[in-house]
Amino acid sequence: MASTSKDNVQASTSGQGNPADDLEPGACPESVLNPSDSFEEFASEMSSSLQERNINLKSKSSTISEIQSEICDGNKDNTEITSTKSSDDLQSKDDQMSALASSCNLSNQNGEDSDNEKDDYLQSPELVNKEKHVFVLSSAGKPIYSRYGNEDRLAGLCGVIQALVSVVEDQNQDILRSIITKDCKAVFLVKGPLILVAVSKSNESETQLVLQLTYAFNQIVSVLTLTQLNRIFEQRRNYDLRRLLSGAERLIDNLFIFMEKDPAFLLGAVRCLPLPEKARENITNAITTTCHKIRDLVFAILIAGNQLITLVRMKKYTLHPSDIHLLFNLVRSSESFKTAESWTPICLPKFDATGFLHGHVSYISEDCQACLLLLTVQRDAFFPLSQAKHTIAEKLRRSNCLVAINDALNRNQELPTTNPLKHIGIPEIRHFMYKCKSTAQLFTSDPISLDRLQDYRIRHKEGGDVSEKKIEKLSDIDYVRNYRKFCSKIHCTSSPAKLIFRSNSDDTVLAWVTNGFELYVTFDALMEKDQAIKAVDRLLRWIKREEQRIFIMNAPTF
Amino acid sequence: MIDVKAKINSFFIFNSSFGPKEGQELKRVLFFHPNQISADARKNQVGLCEAVVKFMSTFSSGPCEALQTQSKRYIFYQPEKGFWMVLVVTIPYATKASSAIGESQGEVLNPSVMNDLLVSAYKMFKLFMGPFKDIPIEDIYSLCDEFFTPYIMSKNLTNDISNVIQGVSYLPLDKNSFFKIVCFIDLLEVTYPDFKCVAFVYNDQLIWNGLATNDMLTLYQYLVQTLLPKQVEKEIQGGAVATAQRHGRFISPADSIRTSEDLKKLVKVHLLREDDTETRQYYLIIYRALSATVCFTIDVNIPLEIETFRSLDAFIGPHLSTIASTISEQCAIHALQTAQLLNTDQKFVYFNRLNLAYKSSASLSKLIPSASIKPEVLSIIADMHTDHKSLGSYGEIIIKTPDEYWITGKSSNEREFYVIIQEKNANLKEIADEVKRICESQMKGIFFYPM
Repeated sequence: MASTSKDNVQASTSGQGNPADDLEPGACPESVLNPSDSFEEFASEMSSSLQERNINLKSKSSTISEIQSEICDGNKDNTEITSTKSSDDLQSKDDQMSALASSCNLSNQNGEDSDNEKDDYLQSPELVNKEKHVFVLSSAGKPIYSRYGNEDRLAGLCGVIQALVSVVEDQNQDILRSIITKDCKAVFLVKGPLILVAVSKSNESETQLVLQLTYAFNQIVSVLTLTQLNRIFEQRRNYDLRRLLSGAERLIDNLFIFMEKDPAFLLGAVRCLPLPEKARENITNAITTTCHKIRDLVFAILIAGNQLITLVRMKKYTLHPSDIHLLFNLVRSSESFKTAESWTPICLPKFDATGFLHGHVSYISEDCQACLLLLTVQRDAFFPLSQAKHTIAEKLRRSNCLVAINDALNRNQELPTTNPLKHIGIPEIRHFMYKCKSTAQLFTSDPISLDRLQDYRIRHKEGGDVSEKKIEKLSDIDYVRNYRKFCSKIHCTSSPAKLIFRSNSDDTVLAWVTNGFELYVTFDALMEKDQAIKAVDRLLRWIKREEQRIFIMNAPTF
Repeated sequence: MIDVKAKINSFFIFNSSFGPKEGQELKRVLFFHPNQISADARKNQVGLCEAVVKFMSTFSSGPCEALQTQSKRYIFYQPEKGFWMVLVVTIPYATKASSAIGESQGEVLNPSVMNDLLVSAYKMFKLFMGPFKDIPIEDIYSLCDEFFTPYIMSKNLTNDISNVIQGVSYLPLDKNSFFKIVCFIDLLEVTYPDFKCVAFVYNDQLIWNGLATNDMLTLYQYLVQTLLPKQVEKEIQGGAVATAQRHGRFISPADSIRTSEDLKKLVKVHLLREDDTETRQYYLIIYRALSATVCFTIDVNIPLEIETFRSLDAFIGPHLSTIASTISEQCAIHALQTAQLLNTDQKFVYFNRLNLAYKSSASLSKLIPSASIKPEVLSIIADMHTDHKSLGSYGEIIIKTPDEYWITGKSSNEREFYVIIQEKNANLKEIADEVKRICESQMKGIFFYPM
């Protein structure tokens, strides 16, 4: 990405002018994650013109078939796999499709006539005063998903959205991006056969909202695959996609709550469960030694509480943070994984949007909330993978790794990472978040614990309404909310910033981006600049010292 | 610098209630620029805007402000209920890819600048024509055309700091000179009770104001941006008139007031005077001697006599010329003092939201084009200015750009102060100290919370 000469300039001229400049806590030569950041993704997403957009969606090669053919080269028994990739589990769903074909009478609301319909439903308590609405509809204007309320009753609104989008496209040869009012933003994203819209009163920027819509699209793709999605609408433009997505609504619901609370999305990075270096090494070894003989295993991922414990991968292939976020969301949203070993098709859109991987998903044991995902291209590998899982679980228990994981999850007070601010000992720092750019991993001063995750959901039950209530004590979610503006200024496309220092009577915030990292810190109000510089320096040194614990510093393969 | 005019794709005004039935859509369009656009295209544009406004009204009680498409930005402004002014500007949707190629280089245009353009267009219209709702429907189309066509054509808006922060430049004067001016105005108002002095301007700086703050800015902008530049040009060309100028003359109406015929050419304006509670219609009379310009209003219902104007001319002329010479001496001395003090590298802007006082360093004034600010930097300042609320009643923000510009914004109650420094190898502390120094030396006597 950055040339070395640029690095040197950076080191000598960066804002702090401090020895801390050469620190790049968390950086390591090889990353388990694909570190291209979400804002670059966004750029490639959005720069296209109307025509390009339509081509882009279709011209992607399949990583899965690549892997399959590699395996097949050495193993002739498995040749039939290549031909079956994406259509597998959908046979039954296809049948359902024909049954509904005629049942749709709501169509062709192309004109602007639909504007005149007075939509009283939109003013009902279910829908009014929400902080963020999300609507997904087909390009024919058929409702697919609404975050609040009942999609059936939103057909009128979806007709209007579809009309707006197509008027801009047809009459002006242009693409509708956003509409802004004093307190509200509506952001539009047309992807393939779907139109996604967010109407938000939050302080998120347009870019951040588009990213969230892209995630929602990816969530749908991860259930259906892009191939399937495109094919359905090629065959029937009026198809009611909700039939295929039953169950996925909850995934999208949870995904939006998750995106609004967790800075991982804001920064396009993955949170790791802080573990002693030795423990993580043992866990990784347990997985590699058990799995290295299973040929078609692509990824083995151990996660706990939306945090990555380890990721072992097939050589050559890495995962994008956004795919991991979808896995986090899947695991967190599916209670059923807790009770039984599951075998489920999963499409990871960044990895390969055209086909399914097959996942063996299970919790390690009843007394440890870590979830193991074994992802393969083999359709019928449940039993060997189940076997492997039990072996791994046994090894982890014997090597005391389960205790280490539980300690981290329960935020044992003796761990330095449980309460980092106390451990660092800079009382002026109220909150910080740090992203190592080269490995796409992040660390915040308030690591998530399980009960806190629960808290997200309870908070959300209040209904996602806009509230003017003055918050008395800021939670980490509120701090992250405050960072959104800084984050969008730093990543602003037209006039980016490298450093922002803002101080007012509430607090002092420093946002600083270098080639190696992004750092956001909230200090007490009216913090002196030289004090802030010193504090940041100490903070970076602390992260450097603890980096082996906080981050995954290697990129193991089978 | 960007010439905004070149980027204006279209500008139109509509009111949906003017042609409520199908087939009457064109009646809704009060004004459309450019003029040569076909009726169908006008209908489409307005129809799209109506749909957008309607769509957003289901979610938000706030009025629609902007619509962004891949290639254009539509800026909405609803000055009166049902009346929408829309400015369409060619601004591509910003992405990292496009700025990396350099496509959008030098094209950064802050939306707040475009919004301000609409607001001042409306205020200027209201000053001369009154509010939309008071104009009879049969006249409104021609009045809009008469006013907005030349307005848009003449608007020479560049991405300049004075367009980002719109304020009034006040002339600092010593007590005695200021007292002389106030005495002159009082004497005049006592002698001619029908006339009320609403503004006293020297060159392009305001000394005395008798209007409510909002109207004052509009009148000031009309004087400084439209009327006076033309006048100065005339004065420079016609050297022979110089002697006549010593004693001053009426410059509005344009050909002075000599006969009772000229009285019919008097310009009507809608203004809110400082002590009044409602906007009323007045005749606006502007008198100029040397570099001093005075504006008066008379209620439109008062019968006018040419004799009054002749005696007014005889009264103001000599007085104003004397005062103008005094101010000119003052200014010369002041200029000398500041020249010694001024570090030419400093770039700063001061703005007070309460009285709209605006002061910028010499290096930022339009007269020195070499000192122009990069559009990116300007855009950051525009953001700070628009978002001043995030600083609360006092606060400070420092932003460093990738090309080593440090932009500082300070806010203290309603006062704002911005400094631009380009400095390699500086750190936060050094920049903050430098800003403090500039603030203390340039803004003596104006209080900023020490931070």
